[in-house]
Amino acid sequence: MSLYQNPEDYINQEAEKVVSIYKRLYPSRELRLVFKEGRSPILGETSVIEGRAALHHGQLGAEYLGQINVPGSSADGVPVTITSTIPRLPLPNEYRQTAAPWVPQRALKPVFKLSPMLYEQIRYIAEMLRKKRADRRHLMTALPLGKGSALFATPTAPVSSKKPSILVGMHWLEVGGAEKLAFDTIRWAHEAGLRVFVVASVAELQRLQDKLPSSPDVTFLRIDRYLPYHLWPHFIEELIRAENIRMIHIHHCPPLYDSLPQLRAIAPWVKIIDSTHIVEYADGGYPRVSAVWSNFIDIHHVISGELVDYYRDRFHVVGKVKLGRMLDRDSDMQATPEFNMQAAQTSLHVGFIGRLYYQKRPVVVMEAFRRLARWAKRNNVELTASIVGEGPFLETLQGLSRRYGLQDRVTFLPADTNVPALLEKTDILLLPSNNEGLALVCYEAIGHGCIPISTDVGSQYEIIPPDLLVPLSPRAAVRQILNVVDRLWREPAFLAKQKQDLVKAWNRISSDMTAREVLMPIYLDAAVTED
Amino acid sequence: MLDKTAAVIVTFNRSAKLAKVIDALQRQTRRPEVILVVDNASTDDTQDMVISRAQEDLSIRYLRLPQNVGGAGGFHAGLKTAYEQGANYFWISDDDAYPEPDAIEKLLSAIREFEVQNQWRPSFAASRVEWIDGSLCEMNTPRPVWDWPRFVRPGKAWALVDSASFVSILVPRWAVETHGLPIADYFIWFDDAEYTRRLSRSYPGIFVPESRVIHDTPDNRGVNFGFVNDKSLWKFRYGARNEASWRRREGGMIALLSYAYGVHQQMKGANVPWKLRRNIYAAILGGIRFCPSIKNV
Repeated sequence: MSLYQNPEDYINQEAEKVVSIYKRLYPSRELRLVFKEGRSPILGETSVIEGRAALHHGQLGAEYLGQINVPGSSADGVPVTITSTIPRLPLPNEYRQTAAPWVPQRALKPVFKLSPMLYEQIRYIAEMLRKKRADRRHLMTALPLGKGSALFATPTAPVSSKKPSILVGMHWLEVGGAEKLAFDTIRWAHEAGLRVFVVASVAELQRLQDKLPSSPDVTFLRIDRYLPYHLWPHFIEELIRAENIRMIHIHHCPPLYDSLPQLRAIAPWVKIIDSTHIVEYADGGYPRVSAVWSNFIDIHHVISGELVDYYRDRFHVVGKVKLGRMLDRDSDMQATPEFNMQAAQTSLHVGFIGRLYYQKRPVVVMEAFRRLARWAKRNNVELTASIVGEGPFLETLQGLSRRYGLQDRVTFLPADTNVPALLEKTDILLLPSNNEGLALVCYEAIGHGCIPISTDVGSQYEIIPPDLLVPLSPRAAVRQILNVVDRLWREPAFLAKQKQDLVKAWNRISSDMTAREVLMPIYLDAAVTED
Repeated sequence: MLDKTAAVIVTFNRSAKLAKVIDALQRQTRRPEVILVVDNASTDDTQDMVISRAQEDLSIRYLRLPQNVGGAGGFHAGLKTAYEQGANYFWISDDDAYPEPDAIEKLLSAIREFEVQNQWRPSFAASRVEWIDGSLCEMNTPRPVWDWPRFVRPGKAWALVDSASFVSILVPRWAVETHGLPIADYFIWFDDAEYTRRLSRSYPGIFVPESRVIHDTPDNRGVNFGFVNDKSLWKFRYGARNEASWRRREGGMIALLSYAYGVHQQMKGANVPWKLRRNIYAAILGGIRFCPSIKNV
C-alpha cells in the first residue's frame, strides 16, 4: 500500500480484495456485496448474512459506496449478503509510524513530577501483582485433543496439481521482533519453493507489506480487515483445499490458534508450526497461548532457552520444542570480540539502544545515567551517554535529561543510527528492561566489544554473566548498575572475568542452531511434490 | 472405540530403572499415545535422561514436580495431567516395573472385551505382577471380591478384584471422572489400595493374568507390620496412618480398632521392639485426625 494513491483506484483494489476473499470462502455461492466508506483508516467492519438479506437504511446512508453481485456457479446455492466497510486512505501523519507521546497515568501525574523513579516503582509493583495472579486467571494446561475412533474415516489430503504452499499467520505487518522473524520465515519458505499466503490477525495499515517478497508466489490476504473472526476457520479450510496448503506457520496470530480444532478435524495432514518469543508477566503472552494449544501443534519453534524451559516446566512438552536463535550465521556470528573498556580509564561511554517504550524502561535508563554522572564526577571520569531509539518516551526522556542537567552528556540518536559503529565506541550498554526474550542487541554489543548490563529477565541469563545481571525492581536495578560499573572500572580482575564470561556465553549461543537452520529443512520437506 | 492411552510413571532418583521402563513402553505392541514421566524432584540424572529421550520420542512428556511429594502426590499430579491431555485410558505404574511387550495391549483388550461380553464395565484392569525370578510379587497381589469367579472362563480368567497396586493397572477415563484422583496427602503407601477400592464402588476391577509385568524390587516381601525395622519405620508409619484414616472413614471407630488389633497382633507375633511398636501405634492414632480430602477432576 502506498500513501500516494488515487482514492478511486484504492476503492477498486480494496473491493477486489473483498470479492476475492468471499469467493474463496463461498466458491459456488452467489455473492451480494454492499460497500461503505469507513471513517477509520484501519478498521473495515464486515457483516455476513447467509441468505438474500434485504438492505436497510443503515447500509445506504452517507457512506454508501455501491454494490457488486457475483453470480454463483450452482443455481441451488443460498446467496450470501456481505456488507463491508472499506477504510478510508490514511492521512500522512497516520501513515507515519508514530505513537502518541507517553504521559503518566492521570492519577499518578504528581507522583511522576515529584519522583519519576517512585512512579516506576509503583508501576513495577503493580505489574508483579498481575504476574502473581496470572496463573489463577489464565488456562495453564494444554487443551486435550482426542484421537478419534477408527469407526470414522479420517480426512486425507486431496490430490492437487498446484505447487505446495504455506500459510504464514502474523500479528501484523508492522515493526517488531516477532515480525522480523515472520518476514524472514516468509523469505525462507519462498526460497524453499513453497507458495506463501500471508495473513495478519490485527487490522492495521500493515505498513511493512511492501517488504514481502515481490513474487506472484507470495500473496497477502487482507482477512484482518474484511473477514469476521468467526469465519476464519472456514476460510482457512477453503484456502487449504484450494491452494494445496501443506503447512501453517503461526507467528503471534490468535485467530489461527482458534482455527486449530477445525484444521485438526478437517485437514489433519497440514503440518502446524508456531514461533514464540517472550513470556509476558500478566498472562504468559503467546508462549502460554501456544502451549495451551500444544496438542494441536506439531512443532514449537522458540528463540531462547527460557522458552524451552517454559514449555517443559509448565506444560511438560519437550520433544516438539525446537530452539532456533534469531541470528544469521553469516552476518551476526563474527570473530571473537575484543572489548573496548579498560579498568580505570579516564573516559567512559555508556549507551542504550532500543525502542523507547515502557518495556525497555527508558526512565530507569535516564536515572542510571544521572547516578553514573555523579559517580563519574567523583572519580574524575569523563562520562558521555547516547540513547538510540524512537517511541512515545522520547519527549519524556528529553525532559528528564534537561531536568537532571544531562543535556551536555546525553545524545539522542534516531533509530536508523549506524549501531555497529556506535557500539565500537561504547564501553557499556545498559538494558534495564522490564521483560525480554533474549535481547539480540546484547549479542550485537558483545560482538562489537561493548559490555552489556541487563536486568535478569527472560533469557538474558543465557548471554549475560551473573555478575552483570541486575534485579528487576527499578531502584535496585539502578543501585546495582552503579555498583557493577564501579567494579568494572575499579577492579581489573573483575573486568577481566566478565570479559571472559561474556565471550564464553557468546560462543555458546553462536554454537546453537539458528532459526533458519531449524526451519529450512521443514519448509523444504513441505515443498516436495508427490509425483 | 476411543482408546487414547496415557502411561503415567512416577519416579524418584532411579534413572537407570526408569530408562528400562521407557524402553519397555517403547517396545509395546500397543504403544501408549502419551508417556508421562512424573519426576518427584529427582537429584540424579533423571531430568537429563528423560529430556534426551523426549527429544527423540514426541510421545514422552515430562512433568517435574517442584518437590518430592511421594508416590501418592506423584500419581495424583500425573493422573490429573494425563486426564487434562484427553486420554481415554491411564496406564499407571512404578519406575521399577517393566511391562512385557504385550502387557498394555492385553489389559486394553481384556477390559474392552469384558465390557462387551458381560455388559458391566470394570473400573480398572490389573496385570499379573511378577518378581524378577518369575514368582508372584507379594506386595502387588490384588484383593479379590467375594464373587471373584463370576465371569472367569477358560482362557479368560478375569477375576473380579477391588484392590490393586499402582504397578501396571489400567484405569478408564470414566472411573477418574466419577471417583476423582488418588489422595496426594497420603505421600506414600496405601494410596493405590485406597484409590482402587474407591473406584470399585462403581464396579470391581479385573485381574488380567495374561498381562505381565516384572517388578524389579530388592526383595519379594508383602506388607506385614511384623517386618518393621529402624530403616523401614518411616514407610510403615505412613502406611499405618493412611490405612487407619481410611478404616475410620469407611467403617468408623470399630473398623479402626479392628485394624489396630490386627497390626498389634502382627508386631507381637514377630516380636517387634517396643520402641518401634509405639511409633506405629502413634501413627494409627494420628490416622484418627487425618482426613485428607478427595480431589475431583
